Amino acid sequence: MKATAVRVRRALAMRSGDGLLRGAVWVLLALVLATLVGQLTGAGGRPDAIVGPRLQPPGSGWLLGTDNLGRSLLPRLLQGIGTTLLLSTLAVACTAVISTALGVVAGYRGGRTAELILRIGDVLYSFPAIVLAVLVAAVLGPGRTTALAAIVLVTVPLMTRMVGVAARAVARREFVTAARISGVSAPTIMLRHILPNVAGTVAVQGTYALSVGILVEGGLSFLGYGVQLPDASLGLLIQEGGLYMVGAPWLIVAPGVVLVAAIMAINLVGDSLRDRFEPRETRSLV
Amino acid sequence: MRRSAIIVGCSVALSAAVTSCSAPAATDTAAGQKAPKSGYLATSDASFKGSGPLTVQLDYDTVEAGGLDPQTAATARSWSIESLVYEPLVTIGPKFEVEPLLASSWKQPSATEYVFTLRKGVKFGNGRALTTADVVGSLQRLLKSKAAYAAQLGPVKSVTASGPDQVTVRLTKAYTPFLAALANTPAAILPMKEIDDGSLDIKKEMLGTGPFVVKDHKQDQYWNFTRNTSYRDAENVRISDLKIEIVPQEAARLAALRNGSAAFVNFNNIDSMDQLTGTRDAEAVSQTNSDFYYLIQNSKNPDSPLADQKVRFALNSALNRKEIASVALGGQGRPTGVTPSVLPGACDPAKLPAATARSADPAALKKAGTLRLAVYTSEPAVGQIAQVIQQQLAKAGVTVKIEKYDDTTFNSKVFGAKPDFDLAIGWFAGYVDASMVSRWWNPVQAGFSSTFLNDDKTLDALIDDAGSEPAGADRTKTLAELCARVDSGAQMLPLVTRPSVVGYRTDRVSPTLRAAEGYGNILRDIAHYTLPDAK
Repeated sequence: MKATAVRVRRALAMRSGDGLLRGAVWVLLALVLATLVGQLTGAGGRPDAIVGPRLQPPGSGWLLGTDNLGRSLLPRLLQGIGTTLLLSTLAVACTAVISTALGVVAGYRGGRTAELILRIGDVLYSFPAIVLAVLVAAVLGPGRTTALAAIVLVTVPLMTRMVGVAARAVARREFVTAARISGVSAPTIMLRHILPNVAGTVAVQGTYALSVGILVEGGLSFLGYGVQLPDASLGLLIQEGGLYMVGAPWLIVAPGVVLVAAIMAINLVGDSLRDRFEPRETRSLV
Repeated sequence: MRRSAIIVGCSVALSAAVTSCSAPAATDTAAGQKAPKSGYLATSDASFKGSGPLTVQLDYDTVEAGGLDPQTAATARSWSIESLVYEPLVTIGPKFEVEPLLASSWKQPSATEYVFTLRKGVKFGNGRALTTADVVGSLQRLLKSKAAYAAQLGPVKSVTASGPDQVTVRLTKAYTPFLAALANTPAAILPMKEIDDGSLDIKKEMLGTGPFVVKDHKQDQYWNFTRNTSYRDAENVRISDLKIEIVPQEAARLAALRNGSAAFVNFNNIDSMDQLTGTRDAEAVSQTNSDFYYLIQNSKNPDSPLADQKVRFALNSALNRKEIASVALGGQGRPTGVTPSVLPGACDPAKLPAATARSADPAALKKAGTLRLAVYTSEPAVGQIAQVIQQQLAKAGVTVKIEKYDDTTFNSKVFGAKPDFDLAIGWFAGYVDASMVSRWWNPVQAGFSSTFLNDDKTLDALIDDAGSEPAGADRTKTLAELCARVDSGAQMLPLVTRPSVVGYRTDRVSPTLRAAEGYGNILRDIAHYTLPDAK
């Protein structure tokens, strides 16, 4: 674990001169901070309160305008950011735990165990993400739990495969063989020798899964399966705003910009982490 | 990497600029549009003599268990699309008056007898002339069917041919809405000879006397119609080819109207009229409909607090229909009782028991607990109404959890064999007689509502009385009693009328659009549209 911490510190240090990475981190921090301030202080008012006439452009009483029920968009946007980030982060944390466990077992055990785990993942991976998410929603019914389960189901297959491949490579290394010959138990080898060495892959895949999670949540809420009214999420706000794209563009532009910024920032952070952990790969965004 | 940063920066800056510089769009409308005295919002310009194609975009297609059989069609969308091919004996005028269609005239020798004289020169799309056997067979087939609409025809005793061009319908007792019920697509006259000899599968094909015939249809994608050359007024139908594209996304239909790829579209969003402001050659109008939104309180679940009438009535008393109309529908709807408030003889929703109650019963409201409110996603107004209701009930101390479903899931949860909801929002076509829609409050007659409505014999009797009494003061009184009974029973609560917004390109089509519509038929009068740019 210490080794991983050192590597992460090195990664951050190496990229400290990278303005884009710093920008991305600042964007994410700003979003988290805005959400916290909004939730804790009630800045902008209650998200579900009708504060003025319908579809008013940004003005003094409603900084980002009002929606189709006369609610101020600002508190709804803050609530939406919080909902989306929280749901996606929680889901990705679950994904990371499940995928890491499955990937490490598959990589270390190999053989039929790996085949079974990876083939099940392949089956799930063969479904388009949003179709899989809608399938989950159809079984569980709409709501946050569905959104969370859908994001996990969508992101687990790829992450498991990537962690499995990385774990397989580590499992063939001499120190693992030495541990095995020395009689160290399999769980200990996986925990103490393999897991720290695939942590970089997990971190990189985690950022990718986070951006996928945000998109899936947005898609689900857009279709009505995710966060339920009157709660807001970025996807829900975009769905509502889409109807007013011409006459009241502030309703889609504000959540749209935040969604794009969040996904870009997360991808840039992930890209940077990958540069450090997998330096042979070129960066995808340039 | 820097290029990306610049792109992101520019996007954010541009978006922020667009946001801050946008002009004000919609404003609150104090009340729905006032119907013009003519009864029309637009009338087609007869000086355009050219003929050509027309593209229409609608939000969803006709989906019925009975396929394309108009008699079993249960939704206004099916009635609209099928009305392009099928015609009933009578139709409805701009002010909800009954007018001749396939019947050139009718007589009513007694309160229980109607004699229809068939119009001459009427032919089906295959060229065969309409006969009295088609009329008799069609009405008998509808009455024998298990279709919900059969209940709307009332107590029909017999349908017989009483002359070479005459059909007589006898009722067991007087039924005031009979002619109005005949004016809707499910009562259309079918080609009975072809149906009986098996040469036509009415569930899969359409063959009627109307202005169009079907060229091809791909479910949920498009319909292609061509002019029916056998139609009695074919030379005056300017639309040679009618394409109906199914485009679920509201924004896509709006864009199609803007760029001219569609000439006529329907909108679910009442703000679409404002969204089109400033668009050259585009108009949007809102029809005042007798259709209305309703709130179901599932009273048939014995474990639910809604099984208690006091709880249901308390919840009803906590609702503010005026606020629903102004906030959720931007002032385009109006409060209504079970008799649609736009129809003659309708009751005054402001005088209903829940509206006149001083306050909602707090003890009953306390029992309500947390309720699940089911809505469907395809109509934005439904979600908006749900949120206003949620806020109104929250003020009364009742927690409502909104559950959004796609249309199929919603239908199965609400209208399925085992309903799984506490509250649900839907809408009914309001028809053209004040008593007609109330039949759906009789679960035995309606069928579809029997899983969530308890049968109320007193209410059933009032529904029957309202149907049988002739127009006048007595009937108005009965209708008021009927409204009050529905309101106090509070099982299925009429909320506000449902406006219908349509948009069209003035450079492509000159439509005839009625100010009011009773059967949700947004394509009514399309055979009279003219085409400004056609040669």
